[in-house]
Order: sequence, then structure tokens, then C-alpha cells
Amino acid sequence: MNFPSELQYSKSHEWLRMEDGVAVVGISDYAQHSLGDVVFINLPQEGDEAQAGEPFGDIESVKAVSDLVSPVSGVVCAVNETLLDSPELVNQDPYDAWLIKVENISDTEDLLGAEEYESFCAECEEAEG
Amino acid sequence: MTERLYLYEGVGFDPHYNLAVEQQLLETVQPGECILYLWQNQNTVVIGRNQNAWKECRVSRLEEDGGTLARRLSGGGAVFHDLGNLNFTFLLPTADYDLKKQTEVILTACQSLGVPAVLSGRNDLTAAGKKFSGSAFYHNRGRSYHHGTLLVQVDREKMGQYLNPSPAKLEAKGVDSVRARVVNLADIQPDITVPALREALALAFGRVYGLPITPVPPERLDEAAIHGFFQRNQSWGWCFGPRLPFDVSCQGRWPWGELGLELAAENGVIRHCSVWTDAMEWELSARLETALTGCRFVLPEMEEKITAARVPHSADICALLEAQNF
Repeated sequence: MNFPSELQYSKSHEWLRMEDGVAVVGISDYAQHSLGDVVFINLPQEGDEAQAGEPFGDIESVKAVSDLVSPVSGVVCAVNETLLDSPELVNQDPYDAWLIKVENISDTEDLLGAEEYESFCAECEEAEG
Repeated sequence: MTERLYLYEGVGFDPHYNLAVEQQLLETVQPGECILYLWQNQNTVVIGRNQNAWKECRVSRLEEDGGTLARRLSGGGAVFHDLGNLNFTFLLPTADYDLKKQTEVILTACQSLGVPAVLSGRNDLTAAGKKFSGSAFYHNRGRSYHHGTLLVQVDREKMGQYLNPSPAKLEAKGVDSVRARVVNLADIQPDITVPALREALALAFGRVYGLPITPVPPERLDEAAIHGFFQRNQSWGWCFGPRLPFDVSCQGRWPWGELGLELAAENGVIRHCSVWTDAMEWELSARLETALTGCRFVLPEMEEKITAARVPHSADICALLEAQNF
């Protein structure tokens, strides 16, 4: 499994990359792997507010619907519309298939670095047996 | 690890309320707990989180019959519920979520009543090759539920009427249902009733987990919180108006000419309407397009707009829309 070192991660398995004050948010390789084949992604609209620790959309896989949790508070300034027609891109390359970009960031969840996140995922695996 | 089992039996048959109770139970489930919630809805079509209501259900027929369309938080396809169906929900922390064990509870209960129930694929329970139960799943910030239907003696004729797709061409973003041949448990084991199945499920729940069962602490079922979820569940926007865009097209032919209609909707509202016709009345297309643009995708409202705009042949056009059985 892939854990790019330049990203930060949340315990709800989203990744975050800062680009000139704008937070780019996606889901991790671990997340896409445990979700299985993604069939639909429900994303917010530009201009919507995102709240750290609160859902901003949902992702439906062949297994389940899971809420997507925002790692930051701010205003959604871009949405990856290509995922509406091609949700499988999240399975193919979860670090390229970003979900939303958030600006005017006022709050950030406690996030993990790549190494910490990797061991957190190992614990999750273990818990699932 | 699961250490405490709770059982909650729903009281009414209103899907919006029952789904609100389910969400409240999810939001309040604590580490170490597993709740089994048993509930029933009267005359209801429940669609998946990311489905288009009109694509999956003949909404106007369901509503004419006094039925209800509801949307759930979990994924997957549309299902029909009446009082011949029993719903189960397992609610627990995601860390303790164990699909295999939860499924075993259901299989054990069915087997105790003489049904040779087996798991088929990921979501379905079958007996003699036919499906009598479908499951769906939802995860939200560390809490999860697994819920499903159990067809005991469902009115399959109604099921077929409501879940049959419209003859109109409807293309929607979102998730499509997968059709399956279903069977009622009572057709396999004639003595099975909903109360007998409830009892068997409670017994199997305790047996599979090897723990005693207690009722859900009543303070969990906070009326104000449930009411909030209920209000959202029954709102038109939640059931019919998610942002998912969809396109509808249909056409008809009359002695006065032919007419085709293409509608593009978003949030359940018609954003764009285009009409082609070879009718002699030059004003027909423009009037019909203006009448429907901005109108909610609700048949009586569309008909009202068409009539009020004095669209030529409005009775025929309304009949065409009615015939689509949305």
C-alpha cells in the first residue's frame, strides 16, 4: 500500500495536501482498498462550507456508503467533477483523484504524517482481523 | 469487542420516522455495544442513498395508493416494504463491525424456522436459489450499520407495480438497482410469520454473540434528535431533490402531429426543456418550454403549468406525461 510522504492524513482516511493556502482533499490508498470498487461519489458544490470533522459528501462502493469527512474547515473552491462520471479513478489512483479543494481555512483536524498513518492503518487492519 | 447487546423493536410503520430512529441509534451507540433494531414500514419504497427516485420507482402510482417513498443513508438499490416484510439493523462501532457474525444471526434465525437460508454474494440471502433478503451498509465516523429486508409475506404484485421502470427514457447520475427474483419465506415454510421471525432473531442474536440482551436505554431515543432526522427524511428535497442531474425524454403521436419532449433536471427541478413537434401551432414549443423550465419534476405541478400557459393540445401533452408513470 502506498503512503506518499508529502501528504497528511486523517484517522477517517482522508489525505490532505496544501497548495498555496488551499487544501486539496482525497481519500487514501488504504481507504479505497477497504471500500472496494467505488460506484458513486456524492460531492458538495463550490461555495459550500466544509467543517473539520464533519461529512462533506459520501462515497458509495459495492460494499457500503461511507461519509467523507473534511479534515479542514473552510470554503469549497473546487470540486473534481470528473469523478461524477468516473468514480473508479479513486480506486485507480487515490492520490491523483482529489475530491475537493478548500480555501479560507479556519480550522484543521489533528492530522498524521505518512509514517504515523501507516502504523495507524496497520492497527486498523489488525482490529478487523 | 462487543460486550453488550441491545434489542429495539420499532413501534410505528412510517419509514421516515423509522429511519430517523435508526440514525439516532447509530449516533448514540457506544463502544462495546451492538444494537439489533427490528422495524417495519407500511407500503413504502426505500431507495438507496445515491439513487434517482423516478428512475427506480413509479412515484405517482405509489402516492396515489397512499404509499411513501423514502431515502436511506446506505447504498444500493430500491426495495419495497409492506407489513409482510421485516427489517433488521445491526448498529455498532466500526471497530466491532463483523459482517460475517451479523449475517450468521440472520441465517441462524431463518434456519431455526426451517428455512435452508444461505448467503449469496455479498448482500443477498437466498433459499433454494431465490432471494428473500437484501442488505446494505453505512459507515459514519467510527459507527456503522448493516441493515436488510426479510420478505416473509410481501405483496409481490405491488412490489412489481412500484419498482417497475417507467417507459420513458430516464438517464440519471447515481446508482442503479440490480433486479433479482425474490421469494417470500412463507412460500418456503408456510408457518413463518413476522412475529415468529422477530422472536427467532432475538434468540439467535443472543446465541451467536453468547451474551444476554437488554432493551435500549430509553434516554437514547431523544425525541428532539429523532424529530430532526424525521424532518429531513420526509422533506421533498431529501427524497426527490438531491443534486444528481437527470434527463428524461418521451414522445407521443396524435392526429394533430408528433411531439417529443426532453427535460434536464437537477435538484429535482427542470432546468432545461426542449420540445420538437410537427404540429401546426407555432407557439406550442415555446410555450411548453417556458411552462416547464423551473418547474419541479412533480406531475401535478407540471400539468398545472402546462394548462396555465395555454399550451395548445395541453390535455394530450398532460396525458403523455401521465402515461410515463413516473
